[in-house]
Amino acid sequence: MFVSNMRRRLLVAAVTMMASFGIATVSVAQNKPPLKIGFGMGLTGGMAANGKAALVSMEIWREEINKKGGLLGRQVEFVYYDDQSNPSLVPGIYTKLLDVDKVDLIISGYGTNLIAPAMPIAMQRNLLFMTLFGTNVNAKFNYPGYFQMMPNGKEPAVGLAGGFFDAAMTAKKKPTTVAIVGGDNEFAAMTIEGARVVAKKYNLKVVYDKTYPPNTTDYTPILRAVQATNPDIVFFASYPNETPGVIRAAREIGLKTEVFGGTMIGLGFAAVKKQLGPLLNGVVGYELYAAEKTVNFPGIDAFLKIYQSRAEKEGVDPLGYYLPPYAYAEMEILGNAITTVGSLDQKKLIDYIRATTHKTVVGDVKFASNGEWEVGRPMYVQYRGVKGNEIDQFRKAGPSAIISPKELKSGELITPYQEASK
Amino acid sequence: MKNNSKFLFGMLVFAAVLGSLPFLIKSEYFFFAAYSVLQFVILATAWNILGGYAGYVNFGSAAFFAIGAYATVAGFKLQLPQGVNILLGTFIAGLVGLGMGYLTLRLKGVFFSIATLALSVVLLTIVINTPFLGGARGVYVIVPRESPIGVGQYIHWLYFLILGMAILSVIVARYIQHSSLGQGLMAIRDDELAAEGLGVPTLRLKLYATTISGAMMGLAGTTFPYLITYMEPTAAFNLSFAVNSIAMPIVGGLGSWLGPLIGALLLGSIQQVASVTLSSTWNLLIVGGMLVFFVTLAPNGIMGIFKKKN
Repeated sequence: MFVSNMRRRLLVAAVTMMASFGIATVSVAQNKPPLKIGFGMGLTGGMAANGKAALVSMEIWREEINKKGGLLGRQVEFVYYDDQSNPSLVPGIYTKLLDVDKVDLIISGYGTNLIAPAMPIAMQRNLLFMTLFGTNVNAKFNYPGYFQMMPNGKEPAVGLAGGFFDAAMTAKKKPTTVAIVGGDNEFAAMTIEGARVVAKKYNLKVVYDKTYPPNTTDYTPILRAVQATNPDIVFFASYPNETPGVIRAAREIGLKTEVFGGTMIGLGFAAVKKQLGPLLNGVVGYELYAAEKTVNFPGIDAFLKIYQSRAEKEGVDPLGYYLPPYAYAEMEILGNAITTVGSLDQKKLIDYIRATTHKTVVGDVKFASNGEWEVGRPMYVQYRGVKGNEIDQFRKAGPSAIISPKELKSGELITPYQEASK
Repeated sequence: MKNNSKFLFGMLVFAAVLGSLPFLIKSEYFFFAAYSVLQFVILATAWNILGGYAGYVNFGSAAFFAIGAYATVAGFKLQLPQGVNILLGTFIAGLVGLGMGYLTLRLKGVFFSIATLALSVVLLTIVINTPFLGGARGVYVIVPRESPIGVGQYIHWLYFLILGMAILSVIVARYIQHSSLGQGLMAIRDDELAAEGLGVPTLRLKLYATTISGAMMGLAGTTFPYLITYMEPTAAFNLSFAVNSIAMPIVGGLGSWLGPLIGALLLGSIQQVASVTLSSTWNLLIVGGMLVFFVTLAPNGIMGIFKKKN
């Protein structure tokens, strides 16, 4: 009896101990410090519209991953500061993130000018640095920890302009001349350099090659000068604040050319689409996503559904076709890398990200040695049949026919521009 | 004389306290923040020489700052030593200040201000179209992580540099205030025609002021590329330099060397704290709110409030 009592007590004690150990383990897991990811993001200033949209996408990922138990058993926390779209604030922000906030990982804010000042810090400390839409930032350094999400290919300048020219060369009347125009900014300078290379490849004669100051508001004189050279292709490299003015001016002067468009940033934004409406017709523009049947990256519909349901409330781009899916995909890659590697060892994470083909909502991503996408996928669409200024028409296939690259093509280029713009 | 010794003793204590901080504080970020505040001390002090003493409102602070910064970029590309770059930037900015003075000082009031604003636009266009300076794309100025004096990080070294420059600027500003140059500038501010009638060489004094003010603003920019390590036009010609270099003397009190110092230390620190604790929107709101407050209720700034009490 006594023995049996002893056994029972031992059993109860053992179970209690095991249970309490289990509870303790669980509570330790729950009490694990959060995994902190730090970044600066343009929430005010020139980059704010995109910065805010990127942040919403990243928050969607964070909420999802935390619902699944976080990463390495730790809840993911973002520590971020508004870089005010001002590059001079970036070094201070990243130093604070690393030294004061003690973040586990850093990622970049949005845009080349906000990525570049953080590069030396990431390099000095040998950190993994995933970045959002930088243009050729790593060209001089070839820093192995740098990975960039814009799908322009190993040679971003040539790849980006190349997609436009590939499409333009399918015009009915074979183009022989080109006008290259762009703003005085780093993005246009790089793209124009690429355009010159591609024009040479296609034996196109450059009949106009000029830039305009960043504060230009009236593009009519520029387009009149372009028209005077009578080019078959008009290639513009413009920023979002310039693009609507350029397109309006082209319509105003009745630009006569076979193909008109280029790396006109801003066309991917719902606000610009809404503003221009039917004026978009005929323009060949750079997009990162279009609601065409040929674009079927797994998971992108589900992501856009969640994003769009939150966009209005958060006051960000209601369509989310430009930056948001790529911001989410960046976090997917980072999260998967941490889970697979099983630690926050920066070198191991860098090696894994470099060696792997990542499955994301923007398709398969494989990085080249310079941190750009191994195979680029600059997407060019020709707008057609746009009626009125409602953005809902862009939620369905039709108004943004993809004409390049071949694998995503959903329509043929209509030329000349005058004909296509009707 | 007695006042001078008091001032020099005060500056010595100021230098000793701030100079010892790198040995006491571990956080690198603190020095980034302190650098920004001290940078504004120089800019505000420099602006006050022309704006506060002579009453000529200069909107082109960012241009002079950028001259200093881009002189360093050029020097860095030519592999010149840091000391040479600092001197070069200061000299060129002073020279541009002199040139701007010649061209614009016959203009008065708002016309002079617009002319200084145009200087920023002209210089920005030049930089954007000069590939050697990085053009629109920008240029890297990569520095080692360690301080060249062998103690601490590079940011500590930059902090010592900007601290020294800030102290020098304040000393120069105070010297000018109490010199015949300062008295002449203040006479110009109060009534230029009367001053000229009394024999004050107004144009010459104003030229001195634009040169010294420009050189000091350029000085503030010379170490900036080493701080941000990536120079591009929007960073160098940022509107915040122009706005803060006017706002800080207004908040501190125009027309005396102490006003800009107080304004820069106060407003600069608040901005640093607000931008990382609240948000940049709040940060801008605070600056705007303080400006509205001081311009409407205390036009002579903090110095004015204390003077009234006394």
